[in-house]
Amino acid sequence: MNPTNSKNIMKPSMQTSELMSALADGQLGGEDFAAALHASRHDDSALACWDTYHLIGDALRSAHGARGANPAFLSRLNQRLAQEASPAAAPRPVQPAVQDLPAALPDHRGQAANDGEFRWKLVAGFASLAAVSAIAWNAAGLLTPAAAPQLAQAPSSPTSAQQVVVVASPQGPVVRDARLEELLAAHKQLGGTSALQEPSGFLRNATFETPRNAAR
Amino acid sequence: MSADLPLLPLEKATDSDAMLVERTVAGDQKAYELLVIKYQRRIQRLIGRMVRDVDLVEDIAQETFIRAYRALAQFRGEAQFYTWLYRIAVNTAKKALMDLKRDPTVSENAFKSGQSEESDETSPLENELTSSETPDAVLASKEIAEIINAAMEALPEELRQAITLREIEGLSYEEISEAMDCPIGTVRSRIFRAREAISQKVKPLLENQSGKRW
Repeated sequence: MNPTNSKNIMKPSMQTSELMSALADGQLGGEDFAAALHASRHDDSALACWDTYHLIGDALRSAHGARGANPAFLSRLNQRLAQEASPAAAPRPVQPAVQDLPAALPDHRGQAANDGEFRWKLVAGFASLAAVSAIAWNAAGLLTPAAAPQLAQAPSSPTSAQQVVVVASPQGPVVRDARLEELLAAHKQLGGTSALQEPSGFLRNATFETPRNAAR
Repeated sequence: MSADLPLLPLEKATDSDAMLVERTVAGDQKAYELLVIKYQRRIQRLIGRMVRDVDLVEDIAQETFIRAYRALAQFRGEAQFYTWLYRIAVNTAKKALMDLKRDPTVSENAFKSGQSEESDETSPLENELTSSETPDAVLASKEIAEIINAAMEALPEELRQAITLREIEGLSYEEISEAMDCPIGTVRSRIFRAREAISQKVKPLLENQSGKRW
């Protein structure tokens, strides 16, 4: 139960032992909690109840029973604690600018059990960021043509456009690139066109002519 | 953890632990005394499984609570208070054994045999009597257990059921309220009355064993 809701359940008129019983179960909050602490400071029977109730719980959960708390142990401990500074005033391992922080902020300067997990999360975060950066870098390079490498670009020749020849064709004179004309001339034996206006190099022609002498 | 001794869910108890820690850090030393009374038995039993020396067990337990008190401002509340105290106790015991030139590994292994760290306070192994206890202490524990069990048997059914659901089954007041079909205030009252009835039976024995306690 949320201790803040306990005021709906706990009556302020509870006797000390009933307060200690509810405190043992974590059922006190607010004024009732303060009342239980006040009782423990001023009423030894409150401490006796607190100890006995926990002894009963320990014994019920144990197969071998439990022993009563040792008052001498507590007395000796209290003497030592009296010489100790309050935990809030004790020196801490790290001293950041505490005075700049609001007093209500929780203290986060100790070693947490899951610090290692957070470190790994940090490493994973940096790795993800690096991967995204690398992908973005590559994508940006591809999207800007000016920056792209010109791997397959033919050398531009300012004079090539002017090197044209006029070729006579059945359809009349045709203006052609001089380099194309050279290429066609060099590969003339493979060139030519068929009756289907297809490059003859890609056709297999078969003639069916018979010698005239044989026909006679 | 054995099946017949279920783990006690500590979230409810932790509520009061956290509040007591908060009060201690705020300067209320009595709040820390309540925590010491609550956990003194468990811590001494825990250390007793590592250290086979009655006097040393008590010294290490003292040192454990002192160290915990000094470091209390650094307790974040992310773990249960007892789990945090447990680690301090184990480390303090290991250091004490090393200072005495004993092998802390052997002792801790003996302590850990069959017991996980997280099974903390309701572990039957931890609750077993340790060899560091004197025969008188063993006898006293058995006497207390017998009286408490007899007192439980003598309780009216609704009181016995309420305290069993709370202390052994570890149910919250709300869960007990649903299970017993009664208001939460009635649950609180029944648990309190059950504790009081058992307490009346066991107090004379406790006072016989150690004199006036408080």
